[in-house]
Amino acid sequence: MIRVELSKLLRSRRTWTTIALIDALPTLVGVLLAVTDLGPRPGEGPAFLSAVLTDGTLFPLAALAIVLPLFLPIAVSVTAGEAIAGEAAAGTLRYVLVRPVGRLRLLVAKLVAAMAFVVLTVLVVAATAYVVGVALLGDQSVQVVGSTSVSGTSLSTPELVGRTFLALGYAMLCMLGVAAIALFLSTVASSSLGAALGTMSIFVGSSLLLTLDASEAIRDYLPTRYWLAFVDLFRDPILWRDLQAGVILQVAYVAVFFAAAWANFATKDVTD
Amino acid sequence: MTSLRRWCVVAVVAAVVVAAPLLPRLVPASASDVTAAELLSRVQASGDQAYSGYVETDGAVQLAVGDDFSDLAELFGDRLRLRVWWQDEDAWRVNRLLLSGEEDLVHDGERTTSYDYERARAVTSRDPDIRLPRTSDLVPPSMGRITTDGADADEVSRLPARRIAGVSAPGLRLEPASGQTTIDHVDLWADEETGLALRVEVYAGSSAPVLTTVFEEFSAAGPEPDQVADTWSGQVERDFDDTVDLADAANQYAPFRVPRRVAGLERRTAGTGAVGVYGTGVTRLIAVPLREGDADDLRESLLGSPAAVATDTGTLLAVGPVSVFLTSEGFSYVLAGTVTDETLLRAAEDIVAGVRLRGRFE
Repeated sequence: MIRVELSKLLRSRRTWTTIALIDALPTLVGVLLAVTDLGPRPGEGPAFLSAVLTDGTLFPLAALAIVLPLFLPIAVSVTAGEAIAGEAAAGTLRYVLVRPVGRLRLLVAKLVAAMAFVVLTVLVVAATAYVVGVALLGDQSVQVVGSTSVSGTSLSTPELVGRTFLALGYAMLCMLGVAAIALFLSTVASSSLGAALGTMSIFVGSSLLLTLDASEAIRDYLPTRYWLAFVDLFRDPILWRDLQAGVILQVAYVAVFFAAAWANFATKDVTD
Repeated sequence: MTSLRRWCVVAVVAAVVVAAPLLPRLVPASASDVTAAELLSRVQASGDQAYSGYVETDGAVQLAVGDDFSDLAELFGDRLRLRVWWQDEDAWRVNRLLLSGEEDLVHDGERTTSYDYERARAVTSRDPDIRLPRTSDLVPPSMGRITTDGADADEVSRLPARRIAGVSAPGLRLEPASGQTTIDHVDLWADEETGLALRVEVYAGSSAPVLTTVFEEFSAAGPEPDQVADTWSGQVERDFDDTVDLADAANQYAPFRVPRRVAGLERRTAGTGAVGVYGTGVTRLIAVPLREGDADDLRESLLGSPAAVATDTGTLLAVGPVSVFLTSEGFSYVLAGTVTDETLLRAAEDIVAGVRLRGRFE
């Protein structure tokens, strides 16, 4: 069943259109930076964007910081929100469930497909950004080996590559949390649009609450609390505190919302 | 499994993940029989104790002091995340963690280097006699020493111990005897053995602290030598600056000499500089001369606040525990500190009356 869902995902024109649209923004930013040579002022703009003018190999991280707060979670919400509600709205859910597979396996297959979408999107964005960064950005007159950590020390190329892949993996895990919420709402809502909007309202609300002092007591439980902690991978030494908390938080969200999806969907009457 | 049982499973999973982070807080702190006077002396003498950790500060002082002092407004009005490695007073590193970068201070003997990731620049300066507050002053051990500086045993009392960053820390309350300060009291909790303050809360009349600084992670083990060393990569632009900040620049180059005593408070530093820091502990003020253009900008910023008061001799703004006064007669001096308005106005009068030209201007 997982193979079927992955095949559907990869053959869908919408999948590739969505990925292309997400990829377009950081690419456009990279081209504009290269043409104008104007980076954001210190303290402004996404992480690493001010650094890419001197070190183009950091552009995959800047691209991640550009898409992670909004565009990627929107795409994941739409994709995962459609998992069950979309099938129901299209009238195909009944036929899917006729097959001799359990509903739990169907949910697992849907979550794996959503995760595959995240992995594909992140890798495409990172690969495109690397090409744009190396080809267009950076100070081409300076030949240096490695990069500079956020703390100002040297990072060798293997260290930079290793930490970049860790950052990509961390971003994927954060999006798995979004997918789990969307999957649950997809079992509740009658339309995929409702599930997607419900998921988006949760992470927009979470981002808003993080700015309020009054939400201090619950901020460590908010789903977006540690999304940008991947920057801590590039400090020296690595600051694991928020990364560890972020991993635990996302695993908890996946556990709770996947369990809720299972609890709701296992005996749900399916009439569509 | 019935629907009810499935939802019970979900409820149990949710309860476990919500409760798990709270469990460490339930571990009680060990009682301590250290006296308040003994704990005070350990806190005051903790400058050369090694430690490292992760600190969060939360300031509620909204200073409307313009661009020249914007760093100060951030220090006392924002939430900061700091990483600190402290070998002793001569070797330490304090990193201010930003969402998209880092601003670090590395201290080595008589030099301090400030590094800014987003500017890819490290600027080294010699340590000045007088400077404005910086992030290294906000880490709990430093803040503990600053606030208890000059405090007597009869101003402190014990508070129950609290568990902070896994350490059972006896508490201390400082209630300053001086009637000249705006600080009502300071509560701090310190490591009993080393005297390092682990949490400091500064109160100025309300039930909520105006400044809190606390270790979220703490280790009494000293840092590795490379963690307090100058290890910038070759891509970082290096520079040297004669001055650390506006107060240092004014102290070195402004042609004035401030009086030794204002409003009954003694000057803390020797020498004949143009800047004066007066008082001890939480009864403390600084007087800095400004150029006309800078003074005009600051006056405009101060008057932009509804709480600002224009007097015959200058402009006064009291924001929570911090009072700021900018003189308008004679030389332009800005005075700021955790002192009462009356003390600040008296100090301004003494500055205006007592400031002298120095060197070749005499």
